[in-house]
Amino acid sequence: MGWKIGIPRALFYYTYFPLWTTFFQALGVEVVVSPLTNKAILDQGTKSVVDETCLPVKVFFGHAATFTNKNVDFLFVPRLISVEKKAYICPKFMGLPDMLSASKIKHPPLIKPVVNKVKSEQDTHFLWDCASPFTGKWLKIKKAWHDAEQEQRNYEQKLIRKYLDITDDRKLNILLLGHDYNLYDHYVNMGLWQKLQDLDCTVFTPAQFSKEERDSQLRKFPKSIFWTYGRNLLGAVYSFMQRPGKKGVIVLSSFGCGIDSFIDNLIIRRLVEQKIPYLNVILDEHTGEGGLVTRLEAFIDIIRWRRDYHQNYVSSYGQYVGCCKGNVGVHGTKCDCTTSSYKR
Amino acid sequence: MGLNVIVPPRPTKDSLSLGVQHSPEFACIPLKICIGNLIEANQLGADTFLMVGGCGPCRFGLYGQLMKEIFQDLGINYHTLIIEPPDTGYWQFVTRVKKVIGPVSWWKIIQGIQLGYKKAVIVDKLEKYVQEIRPREFNKGTADKIFNNALQMIDQTQNLDELEEVFCLTKEKLWHIPQDESKDVLKIGLVGEIYTLLEPFASLEIEKKLGKMGAYVHRSLYLSDWVKEHLLTTRFFKLKGNDYRSYASPFLNHFVGGHGIESIGASVAFAQEGYNGIVQVAPLTCMPEIVAHNIFPQVSDKYGIPVLNIYVDEQTGETGLETRLEAFIELLEAKRKKVDRKITIC
Repeated sequence: MGWKIGIPRALFYYTYFPLWTTFFQALGVEVVVSPLTNKAILDQGTKSVVDETCLPVKVFFGHAATFTNKNVDFLFVPRLISVEKKAYICPKFMGLPDMLSASKIKHPPLIKPVVNKVKSEQDTHFLWDCASPFTGKWLKIKKAWHDAEQEQRNYEQKLIRKYLDITDDRKLNILLLGHDYNLYDHYVNMGLWQKLQDLDCTVFTPAQFSKEERDSQLRKFPKSIFWTYGRNLLGAVYSFMQRPGKKGVIVLSSFGCGIDSFIDNLIIRRLVEQKIPYLNVILDEHTGEGGLVTRLEAFIDIIRWRRDYHQNYVSSYGQYVGCCKGNVGVHGTKCDCTTSSYKR
Repeated sequence: MGLNVIVPPRPTKDSLSLGVQHSPEFACIPLKICIGNLIEANQLGADTFLMVGGCGPCRFGLYGQLMKEIFQDLGINYHTLIIEPPDTGYWQFVTRVKKVIGPVSWWKIIQGIQLGYKKAVIVDKLEKYVQEIRPREFNKGTADKIFNNALQMIDQTQNLDELEEVFCLTKEKLWHIPQDESKDVLKIGLVGEIYTLLEPFASLEIEKKLGKMGAYVHRSLYLSDWVKEHLLTTRFFKLKGNDYRSYASPFLNHFVGGHGIESIGASVAFAQEGYNGIVQVAPLTCMPEIVAHNIFPQVSDKYGIPVLNIYVDEQTGETGLETRLEAFIELLEAKRKKVDRKITIC
């Protein structure tokens, strides 16, 4: 019998799609994924939840609403509490199935297994909750999960890049930081990747540094961070700072994201220490691209100047670089004032 | 315990704006107030601040670390002592605490903890009396005056006997306030995030305002309950406070960090006890409370209990809040008169 399972193309889908699609397909279940994010989906999502909710969750609700009249037997909405030891995802992920049931969206029956690896790595309950509607054979489930995990590992391995692109002098290395669902959803981030590539930049993401590298770099931070995405971002920043070449960092965060409000601040402090230019882009329902393009171009220009003219007095982030008279040197013309703050 | 403790002044608008200047934009209001307050304490001569850590998922766990870095950047001289919860074993925790407090005997520590806990219990008991009296008193504000006076006295007490004396005295005083016994007051349950519930400044004294408008307010969280449940409960002996969590199912089936699940559970419990309305108070961008907020419409539908959600932020204008509360109370009155469960306000 052909079962169909729906997966909303939002939030954790962007991190775990190889795992889940392979797993369900191995069980003989057809996987239906909602379409790419568009304006209708975003609007629907915005209408379905309270205003204070962050953008990715709104997008998720929009995607869940696309399954209302579709011929799907189940909707897959796992309660992701933690995917590694001593680290959580986000409080909103923990309440996601409950929030969906409480909303006015009509949806197919939910499959809502609990993923909790805070204390132990055991996944028996999770697997059984996932697969019990489709099959009762434990060996088959175990085999499917094994294959799926293999697939996920291959996928993550493919993403990793060992070196910065310093062979091509024209290209700039930009680390694009953000949660996976903001990075890879090109409607939400307004095609930031394409825009950066048009500006001759090489784009890096946290996933391009191996987990081992990120975790080992994270030891420099005095306290262990208890959010998986926070760990990814901070670890990636530390790793990125180690590599040679001219570089800049762009942080994509969603409006009102509780995790980013703290992690971004910690990242800025580390980048300012190293004098690496930094741009913080905050995403919300706003879809005008003009402002973003201007900011991006200005940011890229700053890095170019610093590289081509060795002008280190261009502010990397948030500090005032003028001298006491308020003169800011342009293209090497220095102020003769002795107390200038751009001596470095 | 031989340590010189400087109690920071009560948070004011100045401390808030000082905190807002130096903390991240989207951080929640408790952090902003804490930072402002600590800077003020530094000006009073404090050189070390003590902060508890945590291990998530709420942001509170990173407060200490972030504060340390912010103070470093500001050039403020502050030693930081962060007490992390015992995640790797009790012995490590004990040694850390010992390092903080220095050479003091354990007997003294236990006595200190006992006195502190008793104080919290007594303040909460008195506060519950005040909450009952506030809507009924003829002369508005009398109970609050007596209560504030009692707080100062409790602060100065040194042992349990003195504490008991203050408690009895204040109770007597409160009982003698002339009250309108026949008045049928509205019952409102106040739920939400712990800091905004317990710190009157953060919530713009919402509790007092509701009381003056003639509503009996009961909070889902009291300090002594929290201390009992979180600090004095160990693996060896358990003290249970009000267990609101069990009420949250089927609306919210899992812990979401902070006090999200307590908010939902408490409102279900209040609804079953026949309260007239629920007011939720939370800091803007508080993640657990947003989850709760999303689930409230369902609770409201099922039990026919109106919910008012209030997010507090840097905004300190009180008129807007007062108007909202007045409107909410008038709607509750109208609903009670009609006894029509179909009117939902949310």
